[in-house]
Amino acid sequence: MTAYIIRRFLHLIPTFLGATFLAFLVIQLAPGDFITRLELDPSYDRAQIENFRRLFGLDQPFTVQYAKWLSGFLKGYLGLSLSYQTDVWQVLKPRILNSMVLVISSIVFVYVVSIPIGIYSALRQYSWGDRFWTTFAFFGLAVPNFFFALLMLYFALWLKDTFGHEIFPIGGMRSLYVDGVDFFEAPKWRQWLDVMWHAVLPVIVAGTAGTAGLMRVMRTQMLETKMQDYVRTARAKGLSERVVIYKHILRNAVIPIIASIGFLLPELFGGAGFVEVVMAWPGLTPLILDAIFSIDVYIIMGSISISVVLLMIGNLLSDLLLAWVDPRIRYS
Amino acid sequence: MSDPNDNTNLLEGLGERSQSYWQKAWMRFKRHPFARWASLVLIILYTLALFADFVGPYPEAKSFRKLQFVPPTKVYFKTEDGRWTRPYVCKVERTRNPRTFKLEFKENCEEKYTVYFVVHGHPYKFLGLVPMDLHLMGGPWLVEEKAYLFLWGTDDFGRDLFSRIWFGGRISLTIGILATIVALIIGITMGGISGYYAGTRVHIVRGLFRPPQKRATEAGEAGAREQNGFFSGGALAEGWREAARERRAPAFLAGLAVQYAFWGAAAAVLYGTMQGFLSITSGVERYVAMLVFGGLLAVMLWIFLFGRLAVDVDDLIMRTTEILAAIPTLFLLIILSGMLAQYDMPSSTRFMLVLTILAFVGWGGLARNIRGFVLQLREMEYAQAARALGAGDARILFRHIIPGTLGYLIVVASLQIPGYILAESGLSFLGLGIQEPSSSWGLLLSKAQQIGISAIKERPWLFIPGFFIFVSILTYNYLGDALRDALDPRAEH
Repeated sequence: MTAYIIRRFLHLIPTFLGATFLAFLVIQLAPGDFITRLELDPSYDRAQIENFRRLFGLDQPFTVQYAKWLSGFLKGYLGLSLSYQTDVWQVLKPRILNSMVLVISSIVFVYVVSIPIGIYSALRQYSWGDRFWTTFAFFGLAVPNFFFALLMLYFALWLKDTFGHEIFPIGGMRSLYVDGVDFFEAPKWRQWLDVMWHAVLPVIVAGTAGTAGLMRVMRTQMLETKMQDYVRTARAKGLSERVVIYKHILRNAVIPIIASIGFLLPELFGGAGFVEVVMAWPGLTPLILDAIFSIDVYIIMGSISISVVLLMIGNLLSDLLLAWVDPRIRYS
Repeated sequence: MSDPNDNTNLLEGLGERSQSYWQKAWMRFKRHPFARWASLVLIILYTLALFADFVGPYPEAKSFRKLQFVPPTKVYFKTEDGRWTRPYVCKVERTRNPRTFKLEFKENCEEKYTVYFVVHGHPYKFLGLVPMDLHLMGGPWLVEEKAYLFLWGTDDFGRDLFSRIWFGGRISLTIGILATIVALIIGITMGGISGYYAGTRVHIVRGLFRPPQKRATEAGEAGAREQNGFFSGGALAEGWREAARERRAPAFLAGLAVQYAFWGAAAAVLYGTMQGFLSITSGVERYVAMLVFGGLLAVMLWIFLFGRLAVDVDDLIMRTTEILAAIPTLFLLIILSGMLAQYDMPSSTRFMLVLTILAFVGWGGLARNIRGFVLQLREMEYAQAARALGAGDARILFRHIIPGTLGYLIVVASLQIPGYILAESGLSFLGLGIQEPSSSWGLLLSKAQQIGISAIKERPWLFIPGFFIFVSILTYNYLGDALRDALDPRAEH
């Protein structure tokens, strides 16, 4: 097992280097750089602009810029943001936290909703309930995130007009005032409660596609496990149906589902991204979109590299979980 | 299968018509509950998009500057006294609310404008070739702009949403198919090469001289002394001897030139990077960098002189797909198209660009799956037979192995298309895909969001493009599901 973990870890290094280098290469495709915008501004003279270029290392070939960025990254320094005029980490940290709130709540939502429904559908195969959830799964997989988010906003506005006050907030992540007190001066638990209240609709939107997909996988898993020989043996032994279902079928069926958490991550990142844009959630994606148009290289690189690291950790955890559960994987 | 007429004495199988794999698949496809409906809806959507000029009363770019965000025009079927009549519309007039100063649109029903069907209207060129002016709905009043026919309202430029949805459908519905084709071409080539050549090593560089460590290990071996020279013991000479034996010296020399050119270029880039890096760095970082870069260059030089570097093409391609998968797809999509969206380009070029980006981001998963199939199929008897008959690698791969994956490819294609439709609408929704004045469903839907959250409720007709994205993805998913059930060879019943 130790050898497997070490091998998997070593595997991450070239992937990380390749992915960040690819991202850096893509940024070079843009016309000009951040400073090109300043050249059009008459209040800056040539010398100042050259100075800026040197300061941000933009006068060097891009391989040098990448090497410099990488060496900074290894030291834990993500560079200077050109448009925010400050350390990139200062800009990124709150955004990443906000995104993580959304992504982690979505994961919880996906699992809590999809596993019971999957079990139900498998146990009552071809019943009306199963049919309903099958249709729901198809709808959930087909509805575009951004469209669903817009519909949810419409729904929230409708609720507000109907009941006279906001049942669900209309976009955003926090209220200006909590109980008449400024948000940042309110007690911590009130702040969290407020954020969670704002997160309800975004989490539903971001999690729907994942829920729909996982629900189907869970159903298939249950149905396949039901056919196994050891289940028949358990029944033949005279175990009660309850024990057979929850101890023999469910436990085996749910293992790959739990382990697939890492593969769900990229999907949720994407899903949450659109929700952030539409519902004005101050996460990572709106930041990247802004940075793209101002070619703020280090903000983009910082966001990409950190999401790559998060994704790799998620995948690694998944793989380790799977290997821990299934010894056949370890030795291949 | 023998002809049943020849062995009439064998009773078994009598009266049963034998069916091919595809016939059975077709039967299973037809039995799927939604396959028929999904196909029908898709055919209707594609037909309407194809005849967008005919279906929509207005040309794609026709805008009415004073008629922004006009609500859908009401079509009346009854006169005021309640008698059925031919459908007609009233003129929409723009007024300003004297109290709130908001723009309002009021109907003026003094004059009625009858809606005629299949009528002459704005001229257009069908498919860009045939000049025509027939439209599904309209009338002389529409061309003379006495009244307007905005079935689904107008957008921020005062353009008819109903017409633009069909024009947008052309892009949204075709880009998915085209991107899937491009991704399949890349995926099949890469996955095929990867699977077929898995285990074969290709030289990146061959060392010139005999490696010093060889002397020690071969000291006791009897045959080692034959090729023991300083030069003839190197990887280069070894490769040359092999090539000469197999009579492919010219190919070997050409490959050699590429290998050394690549190695030289890599070393030059590394050296340049080191120089630039050291010139802007100081302190401990500088010394560490010297060590790292110096070490890398030394290793490269050592390999060039004494070693050899051979890699598995399979490894190389699979690592590439892993790198592509390591970046969250949405982020890769938005930085790629965001950077390239900043250039000015005609809409046809932008269409190609979006298509290429989608294919570039999506080929990795396909390649991995196809590789898996090829790894299995290359060991099959028929592939070995082809090799024994002297078929070349390309022929074996593309004529014997890839066709074996056809069922899988069809299913994958039908599930990849909705994914790409979704991706394209998402990009256009963010303003990074198709741009004005062209239209796509994602771009049309983005109008609903641009006008601010509070205005969403006042202009619900801007949501209509979203339903089109939803329906097309839903039907493609049903189609893919039906195809998967139909083409699964395990589903024998």
